[in-house]
Amino acid sequence: MRTRYFCFLTAGAAFFLTGVPAFAHHSFAAEFDVKQPITLKGTVTKVEWTNPHVWIYLDVADAQGNLQHWQCENGAPNTLARMGWTRNSLKAGDQVTVEGFRAKNDDKTANARQVILPDGRKVFSGSAEDGGPGKAKDSGQ
Amino acid sequence: MKNHFRPYLISAMACAALLILAAAASAQSESVAPPVERNSPRLPDGKPDLTGVWEIPYVPDMSKGIGPLPFTAWGEADFKAYDPAKFDYTAHCLPSGLTRQMNTPMPLEIFQMPKRVAILFEAWNTFVIVPTDGRDHPKDPDPTWMGNSVGHWDGDTLVVDSIGFNDKTRLDTIGHPHSDQLHVIQRFSRADPLHLAYEVTVDDPKAYTKPWTNKRVFTLKPKWELMEYSCEENNKEVTEHLVK
Repeated sequence: MRTRYFCFLTAGAAFFLTGVPAFAHHSFAAEFDVKQPITLKGTVTKVEWTNPHVWIYLDVADAQGNLQHWQCENGAPNTLARMGWTRNSLKAGDQVTVEGFRAKNDDKTANARQVILPDGRKVFSGSAEDGGPGKAKDSGQ
Repeated sequence: MKNHFRPYLISAMACAALLILAAAASAQSESVAPPVERNSPRLPDGKPDLTGVWEIPYVPDMSKGIGPLPFTAWGEADFKAYDPAKFDYTAHCLPSGLTRQMNTPMPLEIFQMPKRVAILFEAWNTFVIVPTDGRDHPKDPDPTWMGNSVGHWDGDTLVVDSIGFNDKTRLDTIGHPHSDQLHVIQRFSRADPLHLAYEVTVDDPKAYTKPWTNKRVFTLKPKWELMEYSCEENNKEVTEHLVK
């Protein structure tokens, strides 16, 4: 487990040191609302290691204890791979927290900016963030 | 007694071996100094060789660092009205257009031949072919997403001149506009063996009152290979109507 998450630490450190924004095939504002940050804590049910975005599916318990099915958009596999992620970095059953932003057109879709691992390490997930806070201006916001 | 001295003996032997290796390396570097480490490589025709996989910076806003762009009234009105939440063509996996393609942070690979240069882009897995055999643009080319490019050498700088664009793209992610009168001039020069100086000039009399130039630096990545990028593979933005 320690080895499996080492790459995450490197990736996260690289991002936070350089502050290099990641990239989506679309403008951030075309899909997500920067005014609606969200934190999702749940169980990974599926990972799609696909272009143009990696998708992480999460089951998240709501206030009543009912499981809600969420999907989170991340960066492209190319970008994540060069930062240290692999297609096996996350698997069904992993407990994670995803910090990101709600989609404009769907109430169970979010843009993931950062994944917090069970041991508390925070790692960048290379999600669409042209226009995210502190990043390049996006005229659509 | 024998065991007591053994570590020292091994250390001494290791030191001697290192000294011999260092001396050999030193002699080698003096006799066959590799010029490639000090000078940028050149092709047999004498032109600087731009071949390689280059890491390119993400430039979502081409005005950053150069101030407000010299908009015409049309250009300014179009930029102010642009809202990617209403429509962003790249979310539908349509081609980025030349400048927005060069602005992506995914690497590109240049293959240089004496009469032709190919630029392969990882993002969208697309390409630009640049003839450098002295030809001019075709007359009245059909408008395309990536335009028509021809190149020539200005000393050690490759100059790529592109026209013939359609008006369906944006210059960058934040949506700086252009028209079908867009004329793009790109200048590539090897600043040093590991870096490529890149300048892109945007000339579009419908959108801007005068040409303007954005500069950046590409970094050689000898160990990188371009990867597959299928924008349509799992584009849930469109299939699940997450974008318009």
